[in-house]
Amino acid sequence: MLEATNVCKSFVEGRQRVEVLRSVSLRVEPGEIVILEGPSGSGKTTLLSILGCILTPSSGQVLVDGRRVDSQSPRALPEIRRRYIGFVFQQFNLFAPLTARENVEYALNLKGGRGRNARAEAERLLDAVGLGDRRDFLPRDLSGGQKQRVAVARALAGNCPAILADEPTGSLDSQNGAQILDLFRQASRRENRSVLIVTHDSRVRPIADRVVCIRDGCVVTEA
Amino acid sequence: MIDIARKILLHDKLRFVITVSGVTFAVTLVLVQMGLFRGILSHASITIEKANAGLWVTSRNTANVDFCGTFSEHYLHRIRSVPGVARADNLIVWYLRLRLPTGASEGVMLYGLKDFTGWNIPWQLAAGDLTKLRCGNYLFLDASGIRRFGPFAVGDFREIMGRRMKIIGLTREAESFTTTPVGFVDFQRLQEMDPYNLKGKTTYVLVRLAPGADLSTVRQEIQKRLPYNDVRTQAEWVSISRRYWVVSTGLGLNMFLTVFLGCLVGVVIVAQTLYTSTLDHYREFATVKAIGGSNADIYRILIKQAVLAAVAGFAAGWMLSYAVRPVMAKLGLTVGIDPRFVGLVFIGTVVLCVSASLVSFRKVATMDPVLVFRA
Repeated sequence: MLEATNVCKSFVEGRQRVEVLRSVSLRVEPGEIVILEGPSGSGKTTLLSILGCILTPSSGQVLVDGRRVDSQSPRALPEIRRRYIGFVFQQFNLFAPLTARENVEYALNLKGGRGRNARAEAERLLDAVGLGDRRDFLPRDLSGGQKQRVAVARALAGNCPAILADEPTGSLDSQNGAQILDLFRQASRRENRSVLIVTHDSRVRPIADRVVCIRDGCVVTEA
Repeated sequence: MIDIARKILLHDKLRFVITVSGVTFAVTLVLVQMGLFRGILSHASITIEKANAGLWVTSRNTANVDFCGTFSEHYLHRIRSVPGVARADNLIVWYLRLRLPTGASEGVMLYGLKDFTGWNIPWQLAAGDLTKLRCGNYLFLDASGIRRFGPFAVGDFREIMGRRMKIIGLTREAESFTTTPVGFVDFQRLQEMDPYNLKGKTTYVLVRLAPGADLSTVRQEIQKRLPYNDVRTQAEWVSISRRYWVVSTGLGLNMFLTVFLGCLVGVVIVAQTLYTSTLDHYREFATVKAIGGSNADIYRILIKQAVLAAVAGFAAGWMLSYAVRPVMAKLGLTVGIDPRFVGLVFIGTVVLCVSASLVSFRKVATMDPVLVFRA
Protein backbone atom coordinates (compact mmCIF):
# COMPACT_ATOMS: atom_id res chain seq x y z
CA MET A 1 0.00 0.00 0.00
CA LEU A 2 1.22 3.49 -0.90
CA GLU A 3 -0.15 6.60 0.77
CA ALA A 4 0.67 10.28 0.50
CA THR A 5 -1.16 12.69 2.81
CA ASN A 6 -0.99 16.48 2.34
CA VAL A 7 2.32 16.20 0.60
CA CYS A 8 4.02 19.42 -0.47
CA LYS A 9 7.25 19.69 -2.40
CA SER A 10 9.11 22.80 -3.37
CA PHE A 11 12.44 23.40 -5.06
CA VAL A 12 14.67 26.42 -4.99
CA GLU A 13 15.72 27.53 -8.46
CA GLY A 14 18.11 30.45 -8.27
CA ARG A 15 16.33 32.95 -5.99
CA GLN A 16 12.91 31.54 -6.72
CA ARG A 17 11.07 28.96 -4.72
CA VAL A 18 8.98 26.72 -6.98
CA GLU A 19 6.12 24.81 -5.42
CA VAL A 20 5.68 21.61 -7.40
CA LEU A 21 3.21 19.79 -5.16
CA ARG A 22 0.62 21.51 -3.00
CA SER A 23 -0.98 19.41 -0.31
CA VAL A 24 -1.47 16.32 -2.47
CA SER A 25 -3.05 13.23 -1.02
CA LEU A 26 -3.15 9.89 -2.79
CA ARG A 27 -3.63 6.30 -1.70
CA VAL A 28 -2.95 3.14 -3.72
CA GLU A 29 -4.33 -0.04 -2.14
CA PRO A 30 -2.79 -3.48 -2.57
CA GLY A 31 -4.13 -5.07 -5.78
CA GLU A 32 -5.17 -1.68 -7.11
CA ILE A 33 -4.00 0.05 -10.29
CA VAL A 34 -4.03 3.84 -10.14
CA ILE A 35 -3.24 6.04 -13.10
CA LEU A 36 -1.80 9.48 -12.51
CA GLU A 37 -2.49 11.85 -15.38
CA GLY A 38 -1.74 15.48 -15.96
CA PRO A 39 0.04 17.91 -18.28
CA SER A 40 3.80 18.30 -18.35
CA GLY A 41 5.12 20.10 -15.28
CA SER A 42 2.03 19.32 -13.22
CA GLY A 43 4.04 17.38 -10.58
CA LYS A 44 3.22 13.78 -11.58
CA THR A 45 6.82 12.57 -11.66
CA THR A 46 7.66 14.44 -8.47
CA LEU A 47 4.79 12.68 -6.70
CA LEU A 48 5.95 9.35 -8.18
CA SER A 49 9.49 10.07 -6.94
CA ILE A 50 8.22 10.86 -3.44
CA LEU A 51 6.08 7.73 -3.28
CA GLY A 52 9.07 5.80 -4.66
CA CYS A 53 11.32 7.14 -1.87
CA ILE A 54 13.64 8.83 -4.36
CA LEU A 55 12.66 12.29 -3.16
CA THR A 56 11.59 13.37 0.29
CA PRO A 57 8.61 15.72 0.63
CA SER A 58 8.98 19.25 1.98
CA SER A 59 6.01 18.50 4.21
CA GLY A 60 3.24 15.93 4.55
CA GLN A 61 3.24 12.27 5.33
CA VAL A 62 4.19 9.29 3.14
CA LEU A 63 3.53 5.66 4.00
CA VAL A 64 4.93 2.70 2.10
CA ASP A 65 3.47 -0.66 3.09
CA GLY A 66 2.31 0.94 6.32
CA ARG A 67 5.71 2.32 7.18
CA ARG A 68 6.25 6.04 7.46
CA VAL A 69 9.08 7.06 5.14
CA ASP A 70 8.89 10.88 4.85
CA SER A 71 10.88 11.34 8.04
CA GLN A 72 13.52 8.76 7.18
CA SER A 73 17.10 9.89 6.61
CA PRO A 74 18.28 9.80 2.97
CA ARG A 75 20.64 6.94 3.91
CA ALA A 76 17.66 4.75 4.84
CA LEU A 77 15.78 5.29 1.59
CA PRO A 78 17.76 2.87 -0.65
CA GLU A 79 16.85 0.04 1.72
CA ILE A 80 13.14 0.98 1.51
CA ARG A 81 13.33 1.12 -2.30
CA ARG A 82 15.03 -2.28 -2.36
CA ARG A 83 12.38 -3.92 -0.20
CA TYR A 84 9.16 -2.26 -1.25
CA ILE A 85 9.38 -0.58 -4.65
CA GLY A 86 9.81 -1.75 -8.23
CA PHE A 87 10.34 0.88 -10.93
CA VAL A 88 9.54 0.87 -14.65
CA PHE A 89 10.87 3.79 -16.69
CA GLN A 90 9.85 5.23 -20.05
CA GLN A 91 13.42 4.83 -21.38
CA PHE A 92 13.68 1.29 -19.92
CA ASN A 93 17.04 2.14 -18.24
CA LEU A 94 18.42 -1.34 -18.70
CA PHE A 95 22.12 -1.89 -18.17
CA ALA A 96 23.55 -2.05 -21.68
CA PRO A 97 26.43 -4.45 -20.91
CA LEU A 98 24.14 -6.96 -19.17
CA THR A 99 21.91 -9.54 -20.83
CA ALA A 100 18.18 -9.61 -20.12
CA ARG A 101 18.71 -12.26 -17.46
CA GLU A 102 21.62 -10.40 -15.89
CA ASN A 103 19.61 -7.19 -15.74
CA VAL A 104 16.94 -8.94 -13.68
CA GLU A 105 19.47 -10.94 -11.68
CA TYR A 106 21.43 -7.81 -10.77
CA ALA A 107 18.25 -6.25 -9.33
CA LEU A 108 17.76 -9.45 -7.32
CA ASN A 109 21.40 -9.23 -6.18
CA LEU A 110 20.78 -5.70 -4.89
CA LYS A 111 17.75 -7.04 -3.01
CA GLY A 112 19.86 -9.77 -1.39
CA GLY A 113 19.38 -12.62 -3.88
CA ARG A 114 22.51 -14.63 -4.57
CA GLY A 115 23.84 -17.43 -6.78
CA ARG A 116 21.68 -20.07 -8.41
CA ASN A 117 18.51 -19.00 -6.64
CA ALA A 118 18.79 -15.47 -8.04
CA ARG A 119 19.55 -16.84 -11.47
CA ALA A 120 16.59 -19.24 -11.39
CA GLU A 121 14.29 -16.46 -10.14
CA ALA A 122 15.47 -14.13 -12.92
CA GLU A 123 14.75 -16.81 -15.50
CA ARG A 124 11.31 -17.44 -13.98
CA LEU A 125 10.48 -13.74 -14.16
CA LEU A 126 11.61 -13.53 -17.78
CA ASP A 127 9.51 -16.58 -18.59
CA ALA A 128 6.59 -14.83 -16.90
CA VAL A 129 6.93 -11.78 -19.14
CA GLY A 130 7.32 -14.01 -22.21
CA LEU A 131 11.04 -13.50 -22.76
CA GLY A 132 12.37 -16.91 -21.75
CA ASP A 133 13.89 -17.35 -25.19
CA ARG A 134 15.61 -13.92 -25.09
CA ARG A 135 17.23 -14.18 -21.70
CA ASP A 136 20.79 -14.11 -23.06
CA PHE A 137 20.21 -11.17 -25.39
CA LEU A 138 21.79 -7.81 -24.70
CA PRO A 139 19.35 -4.84 -24.60
CA ARG A 140 20.68 -3.61 -27.95
CA ASP A 141 19.42 -6.84 -29.53
CA LEU A 142 15.91 -6.49 -28.11
CA SER A 143 12.98 -4.50 -29.49
CA GLY A 144 11.48 -1.63 -27.46
CA GLY A 145 8.62 -3.83 -26.24
CA GLN A 146 11.00 -6.58 -25.23
CA LYS A 147 13.21 -4.12 -23.36
CA GLN A 148 10.20 -2.83 -21.45
CA ARG A 149 9.20 -6.38 -20.58
CA VAL A 150 12.70 -6.94 -19.18
CA ALA A 151 12.25 -3.73 -17.19
CA VAL A 152 8.92 -5.03 -15.84
CA ALA A 153 10.57 -8.33 -14.91
CA ARG A 154 13.24 -6.32 -13.08
CA ALA A 155 10.55 -4.31 -11.27
CA LEU A 156 8.80 -7.51 -10.22
CA ALA A 157 12.05 -8.97 -8.87
CA GLY A 158 12.21 -9.43 -5.14
CA ASN A 159 8.43 -9.52 -4.62
CA CYS A 160 8.22 -5.83 -3.78
CA PRO A 161 4.61 -4.87 -2.93
CA ALA A 162 4.49 -1.70 -5.07
CA ILE A 163 5.24 -1.03 -8.74
CA LEU A 164 5.75 2.54 -9.90
CA ALA A 165 5.81 3.11 -13.63
CA ASP A 166 6.66 6.33 -15.45
CA GLU A 167 5.19 6.46 -18.97
CA PRO A 168 5.74 2.70 -19.41
CA THR A 169 4.04 2.64 -22.81
CA GLY A 170 5.37 6.00 -23.99
CA SER A 171 7.99 4.50 -26.28
CA LEU A 172 5.97 1.50 -27.45
CA ASP A 173 3.56 0.72 -30.25
CA SER A 174 0.01 -0.30 -29.33
CA GLN A 175 0.62 -4.06 -29.47
CA ASN A 176 3.69 -3.92 -27.24
CA GLY A 177 1.95 -1.36 -25.01
CA ALA A 178 -0.97 -3.76 -24.51
CA GLN A 179 1.40 -6.57 -23.54
CA ILE A 180 3.05 -4.38 -20.91
CA LEU A 181 -0.29 -3.29 -19.49
CA ASP A 182 -1.32 -6.92 -19.28
CA LEU A 183 1.76 -7.58 -17.17
CA PHE A 184 0.77 -4.75 -14.80
CA ARG A 185 -2.74 -6.17 -14.56
CA GLN A 186 -1.34 -9.58 -13.65
CA ALA A 187 0.98 -8.05 -11.05
CA SER A 188 -1.95 -6.27 -9.48
CA ARG A 189 -4.66 -8.91 -9.67
CA ARG A 190 -2.68 -12.12 -9.19
CA GLU A 191 0.08 -10.88 -6.91
CA ASN A 192 -1.90 -8.21 -5.06
CA ARG A 193 0.66 -5.49 -5.73
CA SER A 194 -0.09 -1.77 -5.67
CA VAL A 195 0.53 -0.29 -9.13
CA LEU A 196 0.86 3.44 -9.79
CA ILE A 197 1.29 4.47 -13.42
CA VAL A 198 2.15 7.98 -14.55
CA THR A 199 1.07 8.43 -18.14
CA HIS A 200 -0.29 10.63 -20.90
CA ASP A 201 -1.34 7.56 -22.84
CA SER A 202 -5.11 7.11 -22.96
CA ARG A 203 -4.63 3.42 -23.90
CA VAL A 204 -3.65 2.77 -20.29
CA ARG A 205 -7.00 3.87 -18.85
CA PRO A 206 -8.89 0.58 -19.38
CA ILE A 207 -6.74 -1.30 -16.88
CA ALA A 208 -7.05 1.34 -14.16
CA ASP A 209 -9.14 0.98 -11.04
CA ARG A 210 -8.86 4.73 -10.53
CA VAL A 211 -7.57 7.68 -12.55
CA VAL A 212 -6.19 10.66 -10.69
CA CYS A 213 -5.62 13.94 -12.50
CA ILE A 214 -3.08 16.39 -11.22
CA ARG A 215 -2.65 19.99 -12.36
CA ASP A 216 -0.32 22.69 -11.05
CA GLY A 217 0.66 20.50 -8.14
CA CYS A 218 -2.86 19.77 -6.97
CA VAL A 219 -5.15 16.77 -7.44
CA VAL A 220 -8.05 18.12 -9.48
CA THR A 221 -10.14 15.06 -10.28
CA GLU A 222 -10.33 11.49 -9.11
CA ALA A 223 -12.49 8.96 -10.96
CA MET B 1 26.41 -12.18 -8.16
CA ILE B 2 26.44 -10.28 -11.42
CA ASP B 3 29.84 -8.68 -11.97
CA ILE B 4 28.47 -5.41 -13.29
CA ALA B 5 31.78 -3.58 -12.73
CA ARG B 6 33.68 -5.88 -15.09
CA LYS B 7 30.83 -5.96 -17.61
CA ILE B 8 30.62 -2.16 -17.78
CA LEU B 9 34.41 -1.86 -17.99
CA LEU B 10 34.73 -4.39 -20.81
CA HIS B 11 31.59 -3.27 -22.64
CA ASP B 12 33.41 -0.38 -24.28
CA LYS B 13 36.56 -2.16 -25.37
CA LEU B 14 38.27 0.88 -26.86
CA ARG B 15 37.88 2.81 -23.63
CA PHE B 16 39.16 -0.18 -21.69
CA VAL B 17 42.21 -0.41 -23.95
CA ILE B 18 42.90 3.32 -23.43
CA THR B 19 42.60 2.95 -19.66
CA VAL B 20 44.85 -0.08 -19.57
CA SER B 21 47.32 1.59 -21.96
CA GLY B 22 47.67 4.48 -19.54
CA VAL B 23 48.46 2.14 -16.67
CA THR B 24 50.75 0.04 -18.87
CA PHE B 25 52.65 3.13 -19.94
CA ALA B 26 53.12 4.26 -16.36
CA VAL B 27 54.13 0.81 -15.10
CA THR B 28 56.58 0.27 -17.97
CA LEU B 29 58.09 3.69 -17.47
CA VAL B 30 58.55 3.16 -13.75
CA LEU B 31 59.86 -0.42 -14.06
CA VAL B 32 62.26 0.29 -16.95
CA GLN B 33 63.50 3.60 -15.56
CA MET B 34 63.99 2.16 -12.10
CA GLY B 35 65.47 -1.00 -13.65
CA LEU B 36 67.96 1.07 -15.64
CA PHE B 37 68.70 3.12 -12.56
CA ARG B 38 69.29 -0.01 -10.51
CA GLY B 39 71.38 -1.48 -13.32
CA ILE B 40 73.57 1.61 -13.56
CA LEU B 41 73.70 2.00 -9.79
CA SER B 42 74.88 -1.59 -9.39
CA HIS B 43 78.05 -0.52 -11.26
CA ALA B 44 78.71 1.94 -8.47
CA SER B 45 79.17 -0.85 -5.97
CA ILE B 46 79.55 -4.12 -7.83
CA THR B 47 83.27 -4.43 -7.01
CA ILE B 48 82.58 -3.94 -3.31
CA GLU B 49 79.78 -6.48 -3.38
CA LYS B 50 81.77 -9.10 -5.28
CA ALA B 51 85.09 -8.64 -3.45
CA ASN B 52 85.76 -11.06 -0.69
CA ALA B 53 86.46 -8.35 1.90
CA GLY B 54 84.54 -7.75 5.12
CA LEU B 55 86.16 -4.34 5.68
CA TRP B 56 87.51 -1.66 3.35
CA VAL B 57 90.06 0.83 4.64
CA THR B 58 89.83 4.02 2.61
CA SER B 59 91.38 7.46 2.73
CA ARG B 60 89.38 9.92 4.82
CA ASN B 61 85.95 10.83 3.41
CA THR B 62 86.28 8.89 0.18
CA ALA B 63 82.97 9.45 -1.58
CA ASN B 64 82.78 6.34 -3.72
CA VAL B 65 84.87 3.45 -4.94
CA ASP B 66 85.92 5.19 -8.19
CA PHE B 67 86.95 8.55 -6.70
CA CYS B 68 89.53 7.62 -4.14
CA GLY B 69 92.48 9.24 -2.43
CA THR B 70 95.85 7.73 -1.64
CA PHE B 71 97.59 6.85 1.61
CA SER B 72 100.76 4.99 2.51
CA GLU B 73 100.89 1.40 1.39
CA HIS B 74 102.74 0.60 4.60
CA TYR B 75 99.61 1.09 6.69
CA LEU B 76 98.88 -2.43 5.53
CA HIS B 77 101.24 -3.79 8.17
CA ARG B 78 99.39 -2.05 10.96
CA ILE B 79 96.20 -3.66 9.76
CA ARG B 80 97.68 -7.11 9.39
CA SER B 81 98.81 -6.98 13.01
CA VAL B 82 95.28 -6.42 14.31
CA PRO B 83 93.89 -9.50 16.05
CA GLY B 84 91.03 -11.03 14.09
CA VAL B 85 92.38 -10.03 10.68
CA ALA B 86 92.90 -13.15 8.57
CA ARG B 87 94.18 -11.35 5.53
CA ALA B 88 94.74 -7.80 4.30
CA ASP B 89 96.04 -6.51 0.95
CA ASN B 90 96.54 -3.19 -0.74
CA LEU B 91 94.26 -2.33 -3.64
CA ILE B 92 94.70 0.59 -6.00
CA VAL B 93 91.76 1.84 -8.07
CA TRP B 94 93.14 4.49 -10.38
CA TYR B 95 92.09 6.36 -13.49
CA LEU B 96 94.64 6.57 -16.33
CA ARG B 97 94.58 7.21 -20.07
CA LEU B 98 94.85 4.37 -22.56
CA ARG B 99 96.19 5.08 -26.04
CA LEU B 100 94.07 3.50 -28.81
CA PRO B 101 95.42 2.17 -32.13
CA THR B 102 93.68 5.10 -33.80
CA GLY B 103 95.92 7.53 -31.95
CA ALA B 104 93.13 8.74 -29.72
CA SER B 105 93.12 8.09 -26.01
CA GLU B 106 90.38 6.97 -23.63
CA GLY B 107 90.15 6.75 -19.89
CA VAL B 108 90.56 3.41 -18.17
CA MET B 109 89.84 2.55 -14.54
CA LEU B 110 92.61 0.21 -13.42
CA TYR B 111 92.47 -2.12 -10.44
CA GLY B 112 95.87 -3.05 -9.04
CA LEU B 113 96.24 -6.02 -6.67
CA LYS B 114 99.00 -8.49 -5.96
CA ASP B 115 96.67 -11.47 -5.73
CA PHE B 116 93.41 -11.00 -7.59
CA THR B 117 92.18 -14.55 -7.14
CA GLY B 118 92.40 -14.28 -3.36
CA TRP B 119 89.87 -11.44 -3.34
CA ASN B 120 87.50 -12.57 -6.09
CA ILE B 121 88.43 -9.56 -8.21
CA PRO B 122 87.54 -9.75 -11.07
CA TRP B 123 84.68 -12.16 -10.46
CA GLN B 124 83.93 -13.28 -14.01
CA LEU B 125 86.72 -14.28 -16.35
CA ALA B 126 86.14 -14.65 -20.08
CA ALA B 127 89.73 -15.54 -20.97
CA GLY B 128 93.22 -15.60 -19.45
CA ASP B 129 95.04 -16.52 -16.26
CA LEU B 130 95.05 -13.87 -13.53
CA THR B 131 98.18 -15.22 -11.85
CA LYS B 132 100.20 -14.26 -14.91
CA LEU B 133 99.52 -10.57 -14.39
CA ARG B 134 102.57 -10.37 -12.11
CA CYS B 135 104.89 -11.70 -14.79
CA GLY B 136 105.20 -8.62 -16.98
CA ASN B 137 103.49 -5.63 -18.53
CA TYR B 138 100.23 -7.45 -18.73
CA LEU B 139 96.67 -6.30 -18.59
CA PHE B 140 93.19 -7.76 -18.30
CA LEU B 141 90.39 -5.70 -19.84
CA ASP B 142 86.67 -6.00 -19.33
CA ALA B 143 84.88 -6.99 -22.52
CA SER B 144 82.42 -4.10 -22.09
CA GLY B 145 85.32 -1.77 -22.93
CA ILE B 146 84.82 -2.58 -26.60
CA ARG B 147 82.24 0.24 -26.78
CA ARG B 148 84.89 2.83 -25.89
CA PHE B 149 88.11 1.16 -27.03
CA GLY B 150 86.89 -0.49 -30.22
CA PRO B 151 87.61 -4.17 -30.88
CA PHE B 152 90.42 -5.79 -28.90
CA ALA B 153 91.46 -9.35 -28.15
CA VAL B 154 93.85 -11.35 -26.04
CA GLY B 155 97.34 -10.86 -27.46
CA ASP B 156 96.73 -7.25 -28.51
CA PHE B 157 98.83 -4.42 -27.09
CA ARG B 158 97.61 -1.11 -25.68
CA GLU B 159 99.70 1.77 -24.35
CA ILE B 160 99.03 3.20 -20.90
CA MET B 161 101.12 6.11 -19.60
CA GLY B 162 103.76 5.34 -22.21
CA ARG B 163 103.96 1.72 -21.20
CA ARG B 164 103.13 -0.96 -23.75
CA MET B 165 100.76 -3.40 -22.07
CA LYS B 166 99.77 -6.76 -23.47
CA ILE B 167 96.19 -7.86 -23.06
CA ILE B 168 96.40 -11.37 -21.62
CA GLY B 169 92.85 -11.82 -20.46
CA LEU B 170 89.26 -10.63 -20.64
CA THR B 171 86.65 -10.20 -17.93
CA ARG B 172 82.91 -9.62 -17.85
CA GLU B 173 80.54 -7.52 -15.70
CA ALA B 174 83.31 -5.32 -14.37
CA GLU B 175 81.92 -1.90 -15.25
CA SER B 176 82.34 1.41 -13.50
CA PHE B 177 79.49 3.79 -12.77
CA THR B 178 81.11 6.44 -14.93
CA THR B 179 81.14 3.98 -17.87
CA THR B 180 84.94 4.24 -17.97
CA PRO B 181 86.16 0.76 -19.04
CA VAL B 182 87.75 -1.30 -16.30
CA GLY B 183 91.12 -3.08 -16.47
CA PHE B 184 93.22 -5.13 -14.08
CA VAL B 185 97.00 -4.95 -13.64
CA ASP B 186 99.54 -6.01 -11.06
CA PHE B 187 99.66 -3.72 -8.00
CA GLN B 188 103.35 -2.81 -8.40
CA ARG B 189 102.97 -2.30 -12.14
CA LEU B 190 100.18 0.18 -11.54
CA GLN B 191 102.32 2.11 -9.05
CA GLU B 192 105.08 2.26 -11.67
CA MET B 193 102.68 3.58 -14.32
CA ASP B 194 101.93 6.71 -12.29
CA PRO B 195 104.83 7.05 -9.84
CA TYR B 196 104.14 10.70 -9.15
CA ASN B 197 100.82 9.83 -7.52
CA LEU B 198 101.18 6.19 -6.59
CA LYS B 199 104.76 5.49 -5.53
CA GLY B 200 104.58 3.94 -2.06
CA LYS B 201 100.82 4.58 -2.02
CA THR B 202 97.61 2.62 -2.10
CA THR B 203 93.98 3.70 -2.31
CA TYR B 204 92.38 0.89 -0.30
CA VAL B 205 93.24 -1.93 1.99
CA LEU B 206 90.99 -4.94 1.73
CA VAL B 207 90.49 -6.80 5.00
CA ARG B 208 89.17 -10.30 5.54
CA LEU B 209 88.32 -11.37 9.06
CA ALA B 210 89.39 -14.57 10.72
CA PRO B 211 86.57 -17.02 11.44
CA GLY B 212 84.81 -16.04 14.66
CA ALA B 213 86.30 -12.55 14.75
CA ASP B 214 83.92 -9.76 15.72
CA LEU B 215 83.51 -7.30 12.88
CA SER B 216 82.94 -4.20 14.99
CA THR B 217 85.82 -4.99 17.37
CA VAL B 218 88.24 -5.48 14.48
CA ARG B 219 86.94 -2.36 12.82
CA GLN B 220 87.40 -0.27 15.97
CA GLU B 221 90.92 -1.57 16.42
CA ILE B 222 91.89 -0.74 12.83
CA GLN B 223 90.34 2.69 13.19
CA LYS B 224 92.33 3.25 16.36
CA ARG B 225 95.55 2.39 14.56
CA LEU B 226 94.68 4.43 11.45
CA PRO B 227 92.95 7.51 12.84
CA TYR B 228 93.24 9.45 9.57
CA ASN B 229 91.55 6.77 7.49
CA ASP B 230 87.99 5.48 7.32
CA VAL B 231 87.16 1.85 7.94
CA ARG B 232 83.98 0.74 6.23
CA THR B 233 82.03 -2.48 6.41
CA GLN B 234 81.07 -3.94 3.05
CA ALA B 235 77.39 -2.97 3.40
CA GLU B 236 78.24 0.53 4.57
CA TRP B 237 80.68 1.08 1.73
CA VAL B 238 78.12 -0.14 -0.84
CA SER B 239 75.59 2.28 0.58
CA ILE B 240 78.02 5.24 0.61
CA SER B 241 79.15 4.60 -2.96
CA ARG B 242 75.59 4.36 -4.23
CA ARG B 243 74.32 7.31 -2.22
CA TYR B 244 77.04 9.51 -3.68
CA TRP B 245 75.68 9.07 -7.20
CA VAL B 246 72.04 9.25 -6.17
CA VAL B 247 72.28 12.32 -3.96
CA SER B 248 75.30 14.30 -5.09
CA THR B 249 74.78 14.16 -8.84
CA GLY B 250 71.06 14.89 -9.16
CA LEU B 251 70.60 11.43 -10.64
CA GLY B 252 68.25 10.48 -7.81
CA LEU B 253 66.17 13.61 -8.29
CA ASN B 254 66.04 12.98 -12.02
CA MET B 255 64.89 9.42 -11.41
CA PHE B 256 62.35 10.54 -8.83
CA LEU B 257 60.92 13.04 -11.31
CA THR B 258 60.70 10.40 -14.04
CA VAL B 259 58.94 7.96 -11.73
CA PHE B 260 56.68 10.73 -10.41
CA LEU B 261 55.74 11.84 -13.92
CA GLY B 262 55.13 8.25 -14.97
CA CYS B 263 52.80 7.75 -12.02
CA LEU B 264 51.12 11.09 -12.64
CA VAL B 265 50.45 10.28 -16.29
CA GLY B 266 49.06 6.89 -15.31
CA VAL B 267 46.83 8.35 -12.59
CA VAL B 268 45.55 11.13 -14.83
CA ILE B 269 44.70 8.72 -17.64
CA VAL B 270 42.96 6.29 -15.30
CA ALA B 271 41.13 9.09 -13.47
CA GLN B 272 40.02 10.67 -16.72
CA THR B 273 38.83 7.48 -18.37
CA LEU B 274 37.04 6.28 -15.24
CA TYR B 275 35.45 9.70 -14.82
CA THR B 276 34.24 9.87 -18.42
CA SER B 277 33.08 6.27 -18.09
CA THR B 278 31.12 7.30 -14.98
CA LEU B 279 29.58 10.17 -16.92
CA ASP B 280 28.71 7.87 -19.81
CA HIS B 281 27.11 5.40 -17.42
CA TYR B 282 25.58 8.10 -15.29
CA ARG B 283 22.03 7.08 -16.12
CA GLU B 284 22.84 3.45 -15.40
CA PHE B 285 24.34 4.36 -12.04
CA ALA B 286 21.27 6.49 -11.31
CA THR B 287 19.18 3.41 -12.14
CA VAL B 288 21.26 1.38 -9.68
CA LYS B 289 20.37 3.96 -7.05
CA ALA B 290 16.70 4.06 -8.07
CA ILE B 291 16.28 0.29 -7.80
CA GLY B 292 17.76 0.26 -4.34
CA GLY B 293 21.51 0.48 -4.74
CA SER B 294 23.35 2.79 -2.39
CA ASN B 295 26.32 5.06 -3.03
CA ALA B 296 28.48 2.33 -1.52
CA ASP B 297 27.25 -0.14 -4.17
CA ILE B 298 28.39 2.26 -6.91
CA TYR B 299 31.68 3.03 -5.14
CA ARG B 300 32.33 -0.72 -5.10
CA ILE B 301 31.72 -0.83 -8.86
CA LEU B 302 34.15 2.06 -9.45
CA ILE B 303 36.82 0.62 -7.15
CA LYS B 304 36.56 -2.78 -8.80
CA GLN B 305 36.91 -1.17 -12.22
CA ALA B 306 40.00 0.68 -11.02
CA VAL B 307 41.50 -2.52 -9.60
CA LEU B 308 40.78 -4.40 -12.84
CA ALA B 309 42.41 -1.64 -14.89
CA ALA B 310 45.36 -1.65 -12.49
CA VAL B 311 45.85 -5.42 -12.67
CA ALA B 312 45.51 -5.57 -16.47
CA GLY B 313 47.74 -2.51 -16.97
CA PHE B 314 50.31 -3.77 -14.50
CA ALA B 315 50.47 -7.22 -16.14
CA ALA B 316 50.95 -5.67 -19.59
CA GLY B 317 53.52 -3.18 -18.27
CA TRP B 318 55.43 -5.88 -16.44
CA MET B 319 55.60 -8.06 -19.53
CA LEU B 320 56.65 -5.09 -21.65
CA SER B 321 59.41 -4.24 -19.18
CA TYR B 322 60.79 -7.76 -19.48
CA ALA B 323 60.45 -7.60 -23.26
CA VAL B 324 62.64 -4.49 -23.52
CA ARG B 325 65.47 -6.06 -21.48
CA PRO B 326 67.13 -7.85 -24.43
CA VAL B 327 66.88 -4.65 -26.49
CA MET B 328 68.51 -2.65 -23.70
CA ALA B 329 71.15 -5.33 -23.23
CA LYS B 330 72.16 -4.89 -26.89
CA LEU B 331 72.76 -1.22 -26.08
CA GLY B 332 74.90 -2.25 -23.12
CA LEU B 333 72.27 -1.25 -20.57
CA THR B 334 71.15 -3.47 -17.74
CA VAL B 335 67.51 -3.29 -16.63
CA GLY B 336 67.58 -4.68 -13.10
CA ILE B 337 64.03 -5.68 -12.19
CA ASP B 338 63.89 -6.77 -8.59
CA PRO B 339 60.87 -8.93 -7.59
CA ARG B 340 60.39 -6.90 -4.40
CA PHE B 341 60.29 -3.70 -6.41
CA VAL B 342 57.85 -5.31 -8.86
CA GLY B 343 55.62 -6.16 -5.88
CA LEU B 344 55.90 -2.59 -4.65
CA VAL B 345 54.99 -1.21 -8.10
CA PHE B 346 51.99 -3.56 -8.21
CA ILE B 347 50.71 -2.32 -4.86
CA GLY B 348 51.42 1.27 -5.92
CA THR B 349 49.55 0.74 -9.20
CA VAL B 350 46.47 -0.58 -7.43
CA VAL B 351 46.55 2.19 -4.82
CA LEU B 352 46.99 4.92 -7.43
CA CYS B 353 44.25 3.54 -9.69
CA VAL B 354 41.83 3.28 -6.77
CA SER B 355 42.79 6.83 -5.80
CA ALA B 356 42.09 7.90 -9.38
CA SER B 357 38.60 6.41 -9.12
CA LEU B 358 37.90 8.67 -6.13
CA VAL B 359 37.47 11.55 -8.59
CA SER B 360 34.28 9.83 -9.74
CA PHE B 361 33.02 9.27 -6.19
CA ARG B 362 31.93 12.86 -5.76
CA LYS B 363 29.98 12.73 -8.99
CA VAL B 364 28.20 9.62 -7.81
CA ALA B 365 27.57 10.98 -4.31
CA THR B 366 25.82 14.04 -5.69
CA MET B 367 23.89 12.05 -8.29
CA ASP B 368 20.14 12.58 -8.19
CA PRO B 369 18.34 9.32 -9.01
CA VAL B 370 15.35 11.38 -10.16
CA LEU B 371 17.11 11.74 -13.50
CA VAL B 372 16.04 8.18 -14.32
CA PHE B 373 12.62 9.61 -15.04
CA ARG B 374 13.91 12.09 -17.57
CA ALA B 375 13.58 11.07 -21.17
